[in-house]
Amino acid sequence: MLRLRRAPAPGPGGAGGAAAAAMGLLNFTRDPVPEAVSGDMHNLNQLSAQQFSALTEILFRFLIEPKEQVERFLTQLSDFATMNKISLGPLKNIVKSILLVPNGALKRNLSSEQVRADFIALGLSEEKASYFAEQWKVNSPTLTRLAVGQTLMINQLVDMEWKFGVTAGSSELEKVGSIFLQLKLVIKKGSQMENVYIELTLPQFYSFLHEMERVKTSLESFS
Amino acid sequence: MAAVRDGEFAALQSLLKAPSKDAVRQLCQECFSSPPAGLGPLAQRACPGLGAGPEEAEQATKGPSQPVCNAFQCSRALSPFPFLQLVSALHNLTRHVVYRGLTRAEDILSLFPENFHQNLKNLLTKIILENISAWRNEAQASQISLPRLLDMDWRVDIKTSSDSISRMAVPTCLLQLKIQEDVALCGNSPVVSALTVELSKETLDTMLEGLGRIRDQLSAVANK
Repeated sequence: MLRLRRAPAPGPGGAGGAAAAAMGLLNFTRDPVPEAVSGDMHNLNQLSAQQFSALTEILFRFLIEPKEQVERFLTQLSDFATMNKISLGPLKNIVKSILLVPNGALKRNLSSEQVRADFIALGLSEEKASYFAEQWKVNSPTLTRLAVGQTLMINQLVDMEWKFGVTAGSSELEKVGSIFLQLKLVIKKGSQMENVYIELTLPQFYSFLHEMERVKTSLESFS
Repeated sequence: MAAVRDGEFAALQSLLKAPSKDAVRQLCQECFSSPPAGLGPLAQRACPGLGAGPEEAEQATKGPSQPVCNAFQCSRALSPFPFLQLVSALHNLTRHVVYRGLTRAEDILSLFPENFHQNLKNLLTKIILENISAWRNEAQASQISLPRLLDMDWRVDIKTSSDSISRMAVPTCLLQLKIQEDVALCGNSPVVSALTVELSKETLDTMLEGLGRIRDQLSAVANK
């Protein structure tokens, strides 16, 4: 992890284009931060503690369920803007800047200390930075789990249905009486679902079950 | 499987011309295994040349029925038509016995008509009894079914990094299933496909739960 070097003018009035270059190394990203960010941090500092806390709550709720809740997030943002007499456009820019930090922090498994330090380096007040870092600490297990869940999976097994029965007879054998097991596997191939049907004999089933139990033991020993 | 008709038993009597019991045995096996559509070609293979002499017959024959052809020595005197009848009759007889699940000599002997040649009847019964369980397995193996599982292999990987999170240690399972399409559709060249599937630990746990339930239900059924 890169160690943070404190920026020369961290106070609320220290915003400006020059501050961006003087910011030093950040934890959440190696790329240079867009110039607009310091301006956005300065504007954030103008919010009251209550307003900042409400905004933070909206942001984290969005991060926890991003895919389904984009509509809801935008609605909440515009409500917040109206209630606090802030124009929506600048608010959206501010939110974009803030979100840079948790997104980078998630990728790099940052601690709340590092998140706090990064916000301070970007120009946010200590009080607000500490508050955000606290919220980060509370939410990061959920966020990490989400990120892991989004990791690439190849032909992911999504569902399994089964039925078993007895073959009573066939065109070749009048009386059979053998047990069959049929599995339907639902597999996610890219963005589509594919159904695969297989039939197993009884010995195959027991052998399959045995192997799957071995897999489980193996997975558990690595968790 | 319909019962064997009397006319077919008459055709079976041409087996008396066979030079050895082994020739009869082999012919029985081939007739059972052949699907109805394959009986014509089988008759041709075993009696090629349609009136050709023994030497030409020998040259023309390829494959496993060669001894049979040589044995039956298709001469100008024997045209292919009775041979086809013989092959069909044997096919029907063997399939009928397997279908009914007859396992006792008396049951098989009673299928033959009164005036059937005694020794041939005993020989055929003996051959059928020798092969009955192998034939039964063959019938079961080739019955229609959903694609069948042939084999499965697995491997456990640990995911250490991805574009969404740069450091992690998440175990995951890759399962490869070798699946054979319906044998009845593919005939002699079954299509085998390999499907690789990835399971997370949660999915595996759910799957094992389901498999466990199957096992419990199977034992419940077995104990009834």
